[in-house]
Parts: sequence; structure tokens; C-alpha cells
Amino acid sequence: MHSAILPILTPLLAGFMLLLIKNYGINNQRILSVASLILLFAVSLSALLQVLQHHYIVYAIGGWEAPYGIVLVLDRLSILMVIATSLLAFGALWYAIISDTDKKGAHFHVLFQLQLFGLNGAFLTGDLFNLFVFFEILLLASYSLLLHGKGNGRTKAGLHYVIINLAGSSLFLFAVGTLYGITGTLNIADLAHKISMLPNEDISVIAAAGLLLLVVFGLKAAAFPLYLWLPNAYSKTSAPVAALFAIMTKVGIYAIIRVHGTIFGDNAGGLANYYTPWLLYGGLMTLILATFGVMSSKELKTQIAYLVLVSVSTLLISLAMHSVDAMSGTIYYMIHSTLMAGGFFLLADVIVRSRGKIGGKLIKAPFFEKGVLIGTLFFVFAIAVASLPPLSGFFGKTMILFAAINHQQQGMIFAVILLSSLLVIITLAQTGSQLFYDTENSVEPLKANVTNNDLYPIVFLLAFAPLMVIFANPLTEFTQHTAEMMFDTHAYLDAVLNRSKGAH
Amino acid sequence: MAYFPFEKQTLIQSWRWIPSIGLDFAFRLDGLGLLFAYLILIIGLLVIVYARYYISSRDSMGRFYSYLLLFMGSMLGIVLSENLLQLTVFWELTSLSSFLLISYWQHTPQGRDGAKIALTVTGAGGLALLAGILLLGHIVGSYNLSDILVSGDAVRSHSLYTPVILLILLGVFTKSAQFPFHFWLPHAMAAPTPVSAYLHSATMVKAGIFLLSRLYPALSGTEEWIILVSSAGMITLLLGSFTALFKHDLKGLLAYSTISHLGLITLLFGFSTPLATVAAIFHIINHATFKASLFMVAGIIDHETGTRDMRRLGGLWTYMPHTATLAMIAASAMAGVPLLNGFLSKEMFFERTLIDETLLNFLSPIFATLAGAFAVAYSIRFIHSVFFNGKMKTLPKVPHEPPVFMKIPVDLLVVACFAVGTLPMITVAPLLAVAVTGSLQTSPPEYSLALWHGFTLPLMMSFMAFFGGIFIYYKRQKLFEWYEKNLSHIDARIPYNKTLHALYRIADFFASMLHKESLQTMLVWFLSVSFLAGIVGFAYGNSPMLGERNFLNVDLMTIIMTFILIIGAIATAAMHANRLVSLIIIGIVGLIVSLLFIKFSAPDLALTQLSVEVVTMILILLALYYLPQHTPKELPKTKMIKNILLALFGGAGVFILTLAVLSRDYDTISSYFLENALTGGGGTNVVNVILVDFRGFDTLGEITVLAIAGLGIFAMLQGLKLYAPSKDTHGSLWSTDIYPLILQTLARVLLPLMLMVGIYIFLRGHNLPGGGFIAGLIVSVALVVQYLANGIAWTRKRIPFSTHNLLAYGLLIATVTGLVSMVIGYPFLTSAFTHLDWPMVGEFEIASAIAFDLGVFLVVVGTTVMILVQLGKLSLNSHRSPKKNSKEDQNTWK
Amino acid sequence: MEIILALMIAVLTSAGIFLILQTRTYPVVLGLTLLSYGVNLFLFAMGRLHIDKAAILGDNENAYTDPLPQALVLTAIVIGFAMTAFVIALSLKAYSKLGNDHIDGMHTKKRRER
Repeated sequence: MHSAILPILTPLLAGFMLLLIKNYGINNQRILSVASLILLFAVSLSALLQVLQHHYIVYAIGGWEAPYGIVLVLDRLSILMVIATSLLAFGALWYAIISDTDKKGAHFHVLFQLQLFGLNGAFLTGDLFNLFVFFEILLLASYSLLLHGKGNGRTKAGLHYVIINLAGSSLFLFAVGTLYGITGTLNIADLAHKISMLPNEDISVIAAAGLLLLVVFGLKAAAFPLYLWLPNAYSKTSAPVAALFAIMTKVGIYAIIRVHGTIFGDNAGGLANYYTPWLLYGGLMTLILATFGVMSSKELKTQIAYLVLVSVSTLLISLAMHSVDAMSGTIYYMIHSTLMAGGFFLLADVIVRSRGKIGGKLIKAPFFEKGVLIGTLFFVFAIAVASLPPLSGFFGKTMILFAAINHQQQGMIFAVILLSSLLVIITLAQTGSQLFYDTENSVEPLKANVTNNDLYPIVFLLAFAPLMVIFANPLTEFTQHTAEMMFDTHAYLDAVLNRSKGAH
Repeated sequence: MAYFPFEKQTLIQSWRWIPSIGLDFAFRLDGLGLLFAYLILIIGLLVIVYARYYISSRDSMGRFYSYLLLFMGSMLGIVLSENLLQLTVFWELTSLSSFLLISYWQHTPQGRDGAKIALTVTGAGGLALLAGILLLGHIVGSYNLSDILVSGDAVRSHSLYTPVILLILLGVFTKSAQFPFHFWLPHAMAAPTPVSAYLHSATMVKAGIFLLSRLYPALSGTEEWIILVSSAGMITLLLGSFTALFKHDLKGLLAYSTISHLGLITLLFGFSTPLATVAAIFHIINHATFKASLFMVAGIIDHETGTRDMRRLGGLWTYMPHTATLAMIAASAMAGVPLLNGFLSKEMFFERTLIDETLLNFLSPIFATLAGAFAVAYSIRFIHSVFFNGKMKTLPKVPHEPPVFMKIPVDLLVVACFAVGTLPMITVAPLLAVAVTGSLQTSPPEYSLALWHGFTLPLMMSFMAFFGGIFIYYKRQKLFEWYEKNLSHIDARIPYNKTLHALYRIADFFASMLHKESLQTMLVWFLSVSFLAGIVGFAYGNSPMLGERNFLNVDLMTIIMTFILIIGAIATAAMHANRLVSLIIIGIVGLIVSLLFIKFSAPDLALTQLSVEVVTMILILLALYYLPQHTPKELPKTKMIKNILLALFGGAGVFILTLAVLSRDYDTISSYFLENALTGGGGTNVVNVILVDFRGFDTLGEITVLAIAGLGIFAMLQGLKLYAPSKDTHGSLWSTDIYPLILQTLARVLLPLMLMVGIYIFLRGHNLPGGGFIAGLIVSVALVVQYLANGIAWTRKRIPFSTHNLLAYGLLIATVTGLVSMVIGYPFLTSAFTHLDWPMVGEFEIASAIAFDLGVFLVVVGTTVMILVQLGKLSLNSHRSPKKNSKEDQNTWK
Repeated sequence: MEIILALMIAVLTSAGIFLILQTRTYPVVLGLTLLSYGVNLFLFAMGRLHIDKAAILGDNENAYTDPLPQALVLTAIVIGFAMTAFVIALSLKAYSKLGNDHIDGMHTKKRRER
């Protein structure tokens, strides 16, 4: 019966237990941290099984029912995000341990667990203000993780990231305040309910608040023109953190699905789906500029950061299409891009370490040890990230394009997505060629302290690309049903507001 | 026939894959697929044998074969797919595996560039194909060929037909190297020769052709099809056969020859008649056999002599007669000499051009003959310049016959050329028939594979081509000179490169314009977008800006406070250059804010605001100690004006938003809290009950934020040392008295007092303004004062706990309070309370929420002390060694 | 009353925006502080304005202010405090790492170029 809160409590408890054992050596911390992740995965899986049975599980914290208290809402989408997060976190943590990143500053494991606490809370909460609180948790944890260890430009990137997000938090409060000031409620389902009965004279104010909220989520998701913070923040931080950050932009996407999808859904009267055009044009612009960013990157990690942006903008476009098929594609592609971007950041770190002084700069360098193996991994990741077959990205993107056929702007969507894909393919071919083919062969290959152990977490994350293809049938059935449920706001409202006895 | 047990029957095997988009894991074996599968497998086998002796021992054999098999599998996937989406999967896979194969010799720039160009062009085509197929399936309602092939009429009459055919043909033309996308193929010749023999003669380039024949029943026959396909085919045919003659590289010649033959086949499909299809499919078979063998011969020559340049070769006949014989037969087939397979299909092609009424009419046969003549010319050149043409010149290696297993594959292919050319009815007719059936999806038309049809017009064309070719070759020197002078510089790669460079320049332009690492740029974008979002939002609906709710009356007190606050805020902004002054002013502003909270019935907020204010001011003061005392003026005036405007717009937006809400009435869920605070939460201070009970989860999150801030700051500042200035801005020395005595005494007296106040505030919190947070801040201030007054070492000795543990236990207590309720079967954080009769205090409610609040209290104390001590610690060295510091610059750090 | 409150919120926000657009960390910290004052007042005002109606049960009969926004503002204040502390510490770190208190660390760059 506590399945909704366990994914939140597990990392929280692990977080302060780690704090209590901080004097007992790094090994104990590592064991506890990994154990907590495994436990998190286990409780998330059991929650998933329950969701498959009951559809919605509403958990009233403190026994205070919605809309008065804070409720957690466990449904297919939220638990899927939690599971994806735990998988990504597992890969990131594994790499952090193997590469000793966790030793390079204080409290890495505590912050890592609390970051997961924030993420899972944001995925599971059904209350708008509580979402704000969890946003702050995950942001503050991410600020600290971003600064973890030493790195060039990390402080500056951190400063920008923190300040722009603080401005975003202020805007979040303005938006939440306005929504409360008009509707008198904070629960997302109740907001949807109130907005569906909104008197005409209040529509404008709610519309303004909704768009302000969209700006906030757009900032998190890194949509045009709010993405400028992302490339530096992602490329300058340590590899495991950058990998974990792959889920951060998806929090923004998720919040749009959850909040805007619910309160400005089909039942919202005059405001039904009014935000989607903005999403579409924002997404298209982001995709174009992110592609340019990929093309003009002079450094590997920066390039991958822009690739994250490419995937995010594809998701925004898909989200804006507002159909079951598109939503299904969004969810599938979201999982894919999260895990792949995470793995790619880890691989980039291995490459940067292997290339010695030259690091990630895309210039001619000597070849390095294990170059063939690492190059093969790079090739496969490039295929996955560029959405080429036979890996999951292709199928996700095809689902999205399939859904786009029925959209009024089909031509523009097709053109932008496909041209961007092409330019990404060309650029990645160029990058791979630069890193692994066009090397200085006159000198001995560089020796780096990269072992096969460093590659295991990368392969772990990469393995999901073929797995998601092999199991595409059950997986897409799941995403399809999930998408259908996301559009069935009535069922969500019934479940959360306890309107009918049938719901849980 | 014994080897077609399924003649007249199509085998389909399918599994569900992604049903929502109509993607099945589905395979189909019909005549067309079978033919291509044979080509892929048989020539593949021969290439595998051949390559074993071609690839040198220094190169990785394993890598080569894994790429090759990957390619072979993908190619089979294309020709055997039932589902078109699945076909695109394999299609892209061939592009990828061919990238690996072409760049196999990655150390050569040609290999890398060739691979990239091939990937770019075929990759682009693949994406277009994907789009085209998505639309095609959308029209038909299924992606399965079984459905699509019978829906030709529906497809052709659909409004999306034109985009569909454009996109699909883009895929076809790029893959099959049709003009204007042909240029990637010659560059792909950087690949090892077995790869060229396989990919660039028999298989990959045929994938596009395959798709033409596959989708023939669904797409062909319209005006668009005929114009697009046959004109691309015709141009490619002419261009390829013409250019081939002038290539001095053996593989270059073969590459352009391949281009021209692909053009020929495409042209035949463009004619859009069943008989043309027969000719096309027949030529696919023939071209695959003779071209694969010729590539292998080129490979042998390269392998044995070390060069492929025809200007350096010659006279090899005496050294390698076996190879030369094979080459001559295969080249004759390419030229269309009778008794060889090339002749048969070329005759059929000539025949088709004669009755072409669609495109060029009478020009068709003329062009065809011209192309035939050039084919003869370059075939002669291939043989003559390599094996004859005088004595052998000095070569990198002394040539001799290759290993047996390099010749056997060529032997077999040449035998096939001969067998098909002489006995077509026995050898190729059955396969051709089923393949044509598979392509047309109906029974094939009447056609004859006979060698002799009498003195027909096509035969005349063959003769003309033959003698024309000989004449052209005879005049080659002049032609070469003319070509060198006028045409050799024309290369489709140049516009390709220009386009790419232009794209990258555009990308760089936007990137350098937008992607500056400047916080101001980010903030300006953010603020502008927020402002616009607000305005645009207000434009939805036609509600009035303000509602009709009555406002409260203004009183003097508030006006004075407002006045001070506004002056203060503006002064902070205006005087921020003088940092200390602006800090004092902002302190006053904060004070007014807490007074406003008191004024408007929020005593808890006022207390909190006040205590936070105090701690924040200490923090900023500490920070200011290290930072420069003044802010330089560096913003240009225009930027300053822009900022001011943005600030004013923002303020105006907030002003309107505030009033828009405040002028409206609302129904709130809050009445529930007022009703249930006492009965359900056991407290009379509703705000506090909300915090620790109704919305206790928020508070749990909030103290986690605090804890993370503490830990984050701890981690961030660890090991950081800042040397603070030893002089103030006026140049006078800071006091070096480390811990002033008065402060010490005062602090020690104050400590118990403040602790008492803290505990009092904490205990009354549930019923009266107060609570864990405020109490925590008061206690932390008390503790911090001890640190300030007595030093860290002294205080740490006397305070027996570590801030880390305090923080952890605080979180633990708060969470465990919630867990307890879970253990006894209630949701997380469910509260319980009871009334206790305490001596002295009187009746007292004790709620589990108090334990929660205790957790809050501990976290606040732990975090605040941790942060302040951490900041204080930075200065450890600053007072200790004033001498050393005074020598250094004000802004030195370590 | 509402109008002058809105005015206060607007001025606080304006001043905050102006300050966060400055080029040094210190004014940005001040700006964020002012901005948070503005936001907190705004959020608080969303419960509408009430005088002498504190939500302490028993003080007034049936006439209380809306306690929910107050609770929200309390949370917001605490979170704001944590964030401010973090930014202050970060600005110190940036000062130490970048060699100046410019938000983009401009001067170090120039120095290196020389």
C-alpha cells in the first residue's frame, strides 16, 4: 500500500544514512549507495506491477485526501520515469565508483541520493506546490553535484546554471501563486477540475499563469530560447553527473505532460491545449539551433550536450502534436534518449581521459590504447543518438514521425526533424573520423589509465538500445496504453479526487 | 522446376513488433526477392573467398569480415522484407555498414572522405525514403507489401502521391547513384576492391533499383514517375558512360561504368512497361555478373602490380594471360558483344528505346546508341591499356598470376556470363520469369530470350555502337586532351562541399551569435520570454484585466512603510556599487517586508522573515569581507537602458498580475484547514499545522533543501582559502584583535538566554506563532555568535556534536516520525496527538508533529551553523598573518 | 491597499531584475534577494489581504486570513534562504577560482590572452 512513497523514501533514507556513516570509509558508502539503488529499482518494479493492476494509485500523505493534502499519484508514466531514472543512476553511480569520481569531493553519495529523492518526488507528486519543492531539491542537489570535483570552467558554468534556475524558481512561484489566487487550490487534478469550470472573466489570468509555468518548465527542459545554460553546465561537470543530468531536462518535459497535459487538457474549455503551438514552435526552433550547436561544437562533451538538446527538442515537438501516437513515441523516445545520452557522456569521459592533454578537443591527436574498442562503442552510441537503425532511437523517431503525418504542420515537422537528423549524422561521422580514424600514427598510441572496468557501466547503459528494440512489442504496447491514459484526464481526476468508488 | 518449389507462391512470415505504427517483423520471399537473394549470397560467397587472399595480413581480417557479413545481412534484409518500415531499417544499415567498409583503410584520407560522402548522400536518401514510406503506408493504411502492392490505384490517385514519389525516389536515386547524386560512388572506390566488387557492382547500388522494381506495381505508370525516373536514368546513363572513358584509374572507370549501367536500368523502369521491366531485371543479373568479375580483375591487377593507373599499366598479357582472358570476356559482356549476357539485355534495352513514346521519343534510341558506343570504347580501353598497349612499364611490383582462389571466383562469374549469353533459355529464363512475376505482381508479358531475331533495328544499333566505340577509342588521345582542358574540373563534389561548408558556416554564425557563455544573455532571454508569455497569456479569452472585488482602505502606517520600502528597493538598485551601504539598505527593506507580514495577519511569516533576514545579513557580510568593496561601472549606457527597461517591464507585468488576482474573488480549500487544524492536527496555529501536518511533506522537502544547501556549501568550499584584505577601503588596517573580549563575555551570557527563547518559540509553535524553523534559526544565531566571539576551536571543544550529524539526525527524526505511522498502518506522515498535563506549563497538546518539528529544528541548526562556520573558516589565515597579507595585493587568493 | 501592495511587489521585482542583470556577483545576490522578497509578498498576497485576522484559532470567531499561502510563503522563504546561502558561497568560490567577481569571469580570460 505504500508503493507510491517507497521510491521517494528509499533515496532519502539512504541519503542521511550515508551522512551518518561518513566517517566509516568510502567503501561502506559505496556499498550503501549501490544497495539503495538496487532497493530503489526493486520497489519501483513492484510499484510498476501494482500500477499495471490498478492503473492509478493515489497516496494521501498524512492521510489528508486531495485536494487538501499532498497526494502522490503513481501511474504508468510516473513509475516509468522513476525506473528510467534508477537505471540511469545505476550506470552513473557505477562509473563514478569505478573512476573514483566520488572521491574527488565531499558528500558525493549523499548528494547523489538526495538528487534521486528530488527527481522521484517530482515524478510522483500530484501537487503543484509540492512539485516546486521537489524541483528545488533536485536543482539544489544538481548545483552541488555539478560543482563536485575539479574541472575547467565548472565554477562559472555552475554560477550561471544556479542563477538562471533561481530566476526560474521565482517565476514558478509567480505562476503557482496566480493559479492559487484564482482557483484556490494546488492539487493538479483539482486545478484541472476548477479550470474546466472556469468563468469567462478569469480565463486570461489563468492563461497567463499557464504560459508562465510553461516558461518555467521550458527552462528546465531547455527549450528555445531558454536552453543557453545547458551546453556549458553539461559539458563542464564530471562525467557521472553529466550522465545523471540526462534525466534533468526530461523532468521539464515530464512536468509539461503532467501539469499542462492535465490542467489544460481537452476538458479545459477555452484553454484546451492552448499551449501546444508555443511548444511546437519552441521545439522546432530548439531543434534547429541545437543542430547548429552540434555542428559548431569544437569539443566532444559540448557536442554531446547539444545532442541532448536535439533529443529534448524532438520530444517537445512530439509533445506539441498532442495525440496518443505522438505521446507514445514521446515516452519511448524519452527513455531511449535519457539512457543513451547518459552513456554517451560516460564514454566521452573515457575518450577525453584516453587522449591525454588534448582531451575532448576535436583536433588531430595520437591514437590511444583500446582505441578500437572505444571507437566501436562510439560508433554504436552515435547510431543510437543519431536515431539510426537498428537501435531504439530510430524506432522512437519513427513513432514520432508516424504521429506527425496527421498533424497540420506535417511538412515542417518532417523537414526539420529529418534535416536535423541528417546534419547530426554527418557531424557525428566527422567527429568519429576525427577521433578514431584521422589520428597521428607516427607516434606511439597514448597510454591511459582506462581499463575495461571503466567500460562496463557504459555498456550497461548502451545495452538498453538493442533491448528496447528487441522488446519493442511489449514496450510500445505499454507506452501506447500509457499515452491513452495520459489523455484520459477524467480517469485521472476521478482517481485523485476520489470522485468514484471504483478508483482504488 | 526443381529448384523453385514455391513457384507462383509468395512465402510470408511475420511477427508483431510495433503494432501501433504498423511495423511488423515480417519477411517475404517471392521471385524478385529470390533473385536478389541469390545475387547477394552467391556473389557474396565469391567475394568472401576472393577477399581472403586480397586483404593483407597487416590488416584485420576479422574486422573486415564482420563488416562484410553485417552488410550482407542488411542487404538480405532489404530484399526479403515484407514490411516497408523494416525495409528502411535494413536500408540504413547498409549505409552504415558500407561506411565501415569504405573507411576500412581508415589511415588514408580518401578512405575517410569517401566513406563520409557515401554516408552523407545515402544517409540523406535513407531519411527521405523513411519519410516517403511513412506517407505511403499512411495512404494505404498498412506498411506490408502485400497490402501496398495491390493498392496501386489508390496510391496513384492520392493527393500525397507526389510527395511520396519524390521522397522515395530521392532514396532510390541516392542509393543507386543516379544523377545528380552519382558522385559518391567514385569516391567510394577508396574501399578495398572486394568491397567495390560486392557493394558497388552487385548489391548495395542495386538496392535502389530493387526498390524501384519492388514498388513498381504501387507507384509506376504516372506521368511523374515516367518523367522523374526515365530522365534521371537517361542522364545518368549518358554521363556515366561518357565519363568512364576518361578515368585513368581502373576502378574509376568501372565506377562510372556502373553508374551508367544503373542509369540504364533506371531508364528501363522509367518506361513503365512490363517488357521494359523484363529488360531491366535481366540487365540487373547480367550487370552484377560481369561487373563483379571486372572489379575483381581490377583488384588482381592492383594486387599484383601495385597500381591501378592505366597510364602506367600495359603489356600484362604476357605475365598474366589467364587473368587477361577473363577480363576480356567480362569486358566484352560489358560492351555488349554477342554470345555474352550483356548483349542480350542490351538488345532488349535498345528495343525498348525504339518504342519509347513518352519522354524523348526519337532521341531515345540515339542517346542509347551513343551510350552504347562509349561503353564499347571504355571496355576496349580497359583491356587494351592494361594487357596490351606495348611493353610493360616499370611497376611497383613484378606481376604474375594471382593465387588460385583469387581467380576461381572470377572464373565462375565469367562462365556465368558466357552461359547466360549462349544458353539463356536453360540458364536464366526460369529465374528471370519468377523475378519478373515478383516485380510486376502479375504474370510476365511475352518475351523472347533468343539470340537471333533477324536483322532488326536493335541489332543495327548494336553494330553502330560497336563500330562507334572502336572509332571513339581510336581518337582517344584528342578526346582526352579535350576532356582534360574543358571538363575535368567539373566535379559534383565541389557544389556538395560548398553546400556543406555553407551549412557549417550558418551553424557557426548562429552558434557564435547565440551560444555565448554570458549569464546576461541567458537572463535577458529568460526575462523577455517570461514577459511575453504573460502578455500573450492575457490575450487569451476576453476577460477584463481587473475583477470587481473591493479593495481594503489605505492607512497612513502602510503608506509610510510602502514609501520606505520603495525608496529602499530603488536605493539598493541605484547604490549597489557601494556594497556595504546597499547591504544596509536591503536589510531595511527586509525589515519592512516582515512588518508588512505583521500588518496583514501573518505573525509566523514576520518572525521567519526576520530571523532569516538576520542570518542572511550575517552571511552576506561575511562574504563581503572577502569580496571587493565596490562594484566597478562597466555596463555601457545602451545596455544599462535596456536593463532598466526590462526591469520596468517586469515590474509592470507583476503589478498587473498582482492586481488582476487581487481584484477577483476566489474559493479556496483553506477553509478545510481552518476547520480541521484543531480536530485533525491538534494545534490552533493553522499555519504551523499546515506546515507540519497537512503539508508536512513540503516541509520535509524544504528541510532537505536546507540540508543539501549545507552539504553543498560544505563540499564546495572544502579546501578553499581566501585571503581577506587586511585593510579596509580607506586604507586603515582592520582590527587584528581576533576575538574581542567584550563580545566574548556578552556572547557567553547570551547563549543560555537565546537557547531558552529558542525552546520557548519551538514549543509554542503548534498553537501560537513560532515553531521549529524559527527556533532553529534563533539557536543557530546564538551558536554562531559563540564561534564569532570565541573562535572555532574553542567552541567546537565545548559543543559536543558535529553539524553533519545534527543535520542527519534532524532529517532522520522528521522522516522516522512519518515512518512510524507507516509501520502502524497509516500513510506516511500521518499525525497523532494527545493532551498531556505538564507541571508548570499546564495542559499541553503533544502531537507527533512536534517530533517532526524537532527534526526541522535540528536540520535548521545544523545547516545554518555549518554554512556560517564554513564561510568563517575561509578566513582562518586572514588575521593570523597580517604582515604577510599586507605585502600582497588586496585581491590575492590561493 | 491592494494597489500599493502591488506597487511594492512591482518595485521589488523591478529592482531585483535590474540587479540580477548587473555584471558582478554581489549585485546579483542582492537582486535575487530583492526578487525573493517580491515573490514572497506576491505569493502571500494571493491569500488576499486581511488585517488582524491571524490564523490562530480562537482569536477571532470565524474570521481568519487564508493560512495556506502563508504556509507556502514560509516554505518559500526557507528555500530562498538556502538558495541565497548557496549563491553567496558560490560567488566566493567563483571569486577565488576566476580571480574576480565578474559573473562571466571575463577578466581572467583577457589576462590569459595576454
